[in-house]
Amino acid sequence: MNSSPILPEKRTPLGKHKPVSRRSMLLGSAGAIGAAWLATGLTGCSAVAAGGVVPLSFWHLLTGGDGIRMSGLVDRANSENPDFKATQTVLTWGAPYYTKLAMASAGGRAPEVAIMHASRVPGYAPGGLLDPWDLDMLAKNDVTEADFPQLVWDKGFSDKKLYSVALDIHPFILIYNKDIAKKAGVLGSDGKLPPMSSPEEFIAVARAMQLATGVHGLSYGYLNDGSQLWRLWYTLYLQHGATMELPPGGTVKMNTDAAISAFDFMRKLLDDKIATSRGDYATAVAEFVAGRSGMFLTGVWELPTVQSACMNVGAMAIPTLFGTPAAYADSHSFVLPHQNDPDKTKRADSYRFVADILKNSFDWAKAGHVPAYLPVTENPAYRSLKPQADYVEITKIVNYDPAAWFSGSGSDFQNIFGQNLQGVLLSGADPAAGIRGFVQQINTLLSKPSPV
Amino acid sequence: MSTSTVKGRAVAAVAPIRARAVPVRKRRRDHLTGYAFMAPFLILFALFLVWPVIHGLYLSFTDQSLTGHGGQFIGLANYFEAFADGQMWQSLLNTLWFTVLSTIPLVLVALVMALLVQQGLPAQWLWRLSFFMPFLLASTVVSLIWAWLFNPSLGLVNSFLASLGIPPVAWLQDPNVSMISIVIATVWWTVGFNFLLYLSALQNIPDQQYEAASIDGAGKWRQLLSITIPQLAPTTALILILQVLASLKVFDQVYQMLNQAITPSTRSAVVYIFETGFTGYRFGYSSAISYIFFALIIIVSLVQLRATSRKSL
Amino acid sequence: MTTSVIAPTRPSKNRLRGGTAAPHKPGDKPFASGRIVSFIALVVLAVFWLLPFAWAVSTSLRSETDAASAATWIPAGGFTFEAFARVLAAGNIPLWTINSIVSASIITIITVATSALAAYALSRLDFAGRRWLYVAIVAAIIIPPQVLIIPLFYQALAFNTVDTFAGLILPQVVAPAMVFILAKFFAQVPIELEEAARVDGASRLRVFWSIVLPLSRPILAAIAIFVFIGAWNNFLWPFLIINNTSLMTLPVGLQTVKSAFGVQYAQSMASAILAALPLIIVFLFFQKQIVKGISTTGLGGS
Repeated sequence: MNSSPILPEKRTPLGKHKPVSRRSMLLGSAGAIGAAWLATGLTGCSAVAAGGVVPLSFWHLLTGGDGIRMSGLVDRANSENPDFKATQTVLTWGAPYYTKLAMASAGGRAPEVAIMHASRVPGYAPGGLLDPWDLDMLAKNDVTEADFPQLVWDKGFSDKKLYSVALDIHPFILIYNKDIAKKAGVLGSDGKLPPMSSPEEFIAVARAMQLATGVHGLSYGYLNDGSQLWRLWYTLYLQHGATMELPPGGTVKMNTDAAISAFDFMRKLLDDKIATSRGDYATAVAEFVAGRSGMFLTGVWELPTVQSACMNVGAMAIPTLFGTPAAYADSHSFVLPHQNDPDKTKRADSYRFVADILKNSFDWAKAGHVPAYLPVTENPAYRSLKPQADYVEITKIVNYDPAAWFSGSGSDFQNIFGQNLQGVLLSGADPAAGIRGFVQQINTLLSKPSPV
Repeated sequence: MSTSTVKGRAVAAVAPIRARAVPVRKRRRDHLTGYAFMAPFLILFALFLVWPVIHGLYLSFTDQSLTGHGGQFIGLANYFEAFADGQMWQSLLNTLWFTVLSTIPLVLVALVMALLVQQGLPAQWLWRLSFFMPFLLASTVVSLIWAWLFNPSLGLVNSFLASLGIPPVAWLQDPNVSMISIVIATVWWTVGFNFLLYLSALQNIPDQQYEAASIDGAGKWRQLLSITIPQLAPTTALILILQVLASLKVFDQVYQMLNQAITPSTRSAVVYIFETGFTGYRFGYSSAISYIFFALIIIVSLVQLRATSRKSL
Repeated sequence: MTTSVIAPTRPSKNRLRGGTAAPHKPGDKPFASGRIVSFIALVVLAVFWLLPFAWAVSTSLRSETDAASAATWIPAGGFTFEAFARVLAAGNIPLWTINSIVSASIITIITVATSALAAYALSRLDFAGRRWLYVAIVAAIIIPPQVLIIPLFYQALAFNTVDTFAGLILPQVVAPAMVFILAKFFAQVPIELEEAARVDGASRLRVFWSIVLPLSRPILAAIAIFVFIGAWNNFLWPFLIINNTSLMTLPVGLQTVKSAFGVQYAQSMASAILAALPLIIVFLFFQKQIVKGISTTGLGGS
C-alpha cells in the first residue's frame, strides 16, 4: 500500500488550505452559536426566567378542535395569572404520548402538569410515575370533592390517594341530524328523537333515516380502530346490566351472552343498508357531515366538527336498548407526573393553573365535552349551551374501562379487542370465537405480574 | 485488490501493527503512556458499552420494570416466555423479511447507478447529488416526506396511480402493503451510500483490463460480466454485510411511518423491544428479547463473514 | 490521502472530477446509442430520486388549504412562504437546530479525540494487554446500539441523567469502529518520522500531536464528518433519553411534538425541509471529503 510522500511538518500532505479555512470558519460560527446557546441557559433545568415568571411545562394529547380550545384555555390561565407561564406540548394521541409520559416520569424530570385519560391512571399511579394531589392545596384553590360527580371524583383515587383530577367526561353518544329526522318523520315536537327502549325501535328509527337520505341511516366507524369498536360495544354490553372485571393474577370475568348479544345488534345495524359494514373513523365523520346519514354514533368530541359544518343537530346518550342505562366514557384528567425534586413554587402554580382551567371549563364544554367541575354545569348559563345541555345528565350513567394496568383509552387492551373482534363486523366472523381469542390474550396479560 | 479480506480484517490489521512494533528496549516504559492514551476512550467504552452489555444480560434474568419496581432474579423465565411469544417470532420474521426485501434493491440499484455514472456522462455533480442527498437526511425527515407521499387521499403516489386509472392504495395503513412502502422509502434514503462505494470501486478497476478485453474482441456486456462484476465482488460483499446488518436493526422508519398503525405483521424486532420495554414497562423481558435478537445478529454476521471469506479464497 | 485502501494497483482516471473530459473505453464512439440510453436512464433515475424532495418543497410553499386539497404541482392559491414563517415563529425548530448543532459537535469532538488517542496507543505503543484490548474493541464493533437501549436507559435512571445533556451525548461517543479505522491508518504512518522525533527527545504526546495528527488530517476529517452526520441524524437514543422539548434535537422534536391544531401538511413539509437543510449545506461544503471518506475507508460511517 502506498502512503503519502514524507513531508515536513508544517504543510499538510494535500498542501491545500482552502478546506481548512472554510472549515474553521464554520467551526468558528458553530462555536459562537454554542456559546449563545449556553448563555441563554437552555439547559432545561427549572431556572426561573428573567422577570420572575415561573415557567410551567404542560403536556397533553389533544389536537384538532380540542387542541385549539385547550390552547385558548391555557392562554386564558396565563393571562389571569401573570406570575407563571404555562407552555403546552402536544404529543401524538395514544401509545406515543403515554410511553413518553411514563419515561419522563421515570426519569424524574417530567413536565409539571399533564393530562391523562382517567382510565390510564391505574397503569401509572401504583408504579410511582405520578405524584399525588394534595387535597388541602386543592381545596385552597376551590377544588373539592363536592365539586365533582361522585363517580368521577372516586375514579381519580388509587390506594386512597388522589392522583387525577378530572377536567371533563367525554362519553360515546348519539348525534342526529334534526333536518333529516324531520324529513324521516321521527322528530318529536320537542325537537328530539322519539324514546327508544329496545333494539327494534332503534333500528326502526335508523331505517326511517335511511329512507330519508337515500344512502345510509347511520354512520359509525371502527375499521382498524380498536378504541372505536370498544366504545360502542362496551356501551351496549353494559346496557345488558353486565360488567367486566380484570382481576390481577386471575382471568377475565365477563358475561359472554351479553357480549354476543351486543355484537348481534351491531351486526344488524351495520348491514350495509342502515350503515356501512366497513366504515372507518374518518369516512363516518365525512358521511354524516355531508348529510348522507341521519344518525352518528360517536364521541362528544366530534360535536364541534359537526357544528362547524353548520348542521342542525341534536345529541343524546345512546338510548337504553337492553334495560340498563349505561354509556362508555372516559375523562381527560390532570395529573402531576413524578418529579425527583419538585420545585415548590412550580408545584403551587400547577395547582393554580389547573384550578383556573377547571373554573373556566365552560369554554371546554363548547368542544362537546361535559365539564367535570360541577360549578360550571350547575350554572344556569350551561342550560343554554345546546345540545350539550341535553346530555349533561349522562354523567350519572357513565362507565370507565375496567381497571387494569394495561387498559384505558388507546391502550393495548383496546387494541387487542379490535384485533380479535373487528372481523365479527367486517367479515361475519363468529363473535364467540373472537371473544375467546380476546379473553385468552387478556388472560395472558393478567397472569403476568404487573410491571407497574 | 486489497490484501485484507473482510474476514481477515481483524487479523490482518493486527499483523502490520506487530510488524511495525516499537523496538524492544522501549517496551517497559510504554505501559503508563499507553494507558494514559487509552484511558479516556476506555472509560467511556467501559461505562457505555461494556457495562450495558453485561448489565443488559443480567436484566434479562430479572423482572425489572421501567418504574423501578421488580428487579427480582427470575432465572430463564423471560427467555421461556420469549420463545413462546408468537409476537416475538413474528417481529423477527418481519425483520428478516424486511432485510431480504430491502437488501436486494439496495445492492442492485446502487450498482446500476454506479455503472451508469461511471461512464463519465456530463453533469456528474447532479447525479451524485441526487442519489446521495437523501442519505444525509434524518430518518424523521424521510418518514415525514414519504408519509406525505403515501397519503391515501392527498399523496403524490396515489394521485399518480389515479391518473393511470388505478384505485388508491392505503400504503401505510394496509398491513399487506406497508412493509413494501417502508422498503421503498428505505431504498430511496440509503442507496446513495452503496452507490458511492460502488462508484469508487469501479474507478479503481484498472483501465488496462478493459483495454485488453476490447483488443480480444469482448463487447461491453461481456466486459461487464467478466471484468466489472467479479472485480466488484469484495465491494458487493462489504455492501451486503453492512446492508444486512443495518436492515436487521431497523427501527426509525417503521416506528415513524407506521406509528399507530403498527400491526403484528409490520412490527420489526427493535420496535418490539422498544414496545415491551418502554410502552409495556417490562425491562427484564425486553432485555431477554434484545439478547435473542443480538444472538441472531451475531449468527448472521458470522455466516456472512464465512461466506465472503470463502468466496475470496 | 490520495490512494484508495481497496485497490493499490494503478487506478483508472478519476471519473468523478467534473465531467468535461469524458473518458471512454477504446472502441467507444462518443455519442454511441449506448451512452444515450445510459443518459436517459440516469435522468429517469435522478428525476425519481429528486421527486420526493421536490414534492415536499412544493407542498411547503403553499397555504394549508391548498395543501389539504387535491394534489397538484402548482397550488391553486399560488406559492407562499407562510408555512415557513409559521414554523419558524413557533420557535421550536431553531431551538432544536441549535441543540443538534451543539450536541453533534460535542459528540464529534469527544469521539474523534478519544478514538484518536486510543488508536495511536493501540498502533504505536506497547503495553500490557494491548492485544486483548484491541481484539475487544474490534469485537465490540458488532454490538448494535439497539440491543443496549434497555440497560443504557436503566443506567440513565440510576445516574439520574434522563433529560440531561450528559445523558444525551455520553452514550453516543463510543465508536469502536472509528478506533479500528484510525489504528489501521496510524499504523501506516512511516515510523521513521516518529522515531526521528523521539530521538530528538519529543514525548509521545508531542509526536502524536505534531507529527501523526497533521499527517492524518484527511482521515480525521472524514471520520469527524461521519460522526457528525451520524450524531446529527441519530434518532433512537435521543428519542429515548430526552423528554423535555427544549432539549430535543431536530429529528426527535420533529417526530414527537405535534401541533395542537392537528396535522398541517404545508407546515409539516416546511419543518422537514428546514430540518434537512443544515446537513445539505454541510454536504455542499464538504462534498469532496465525504465522498473521499466513503471510498477510502470503505466502511464509511456505518
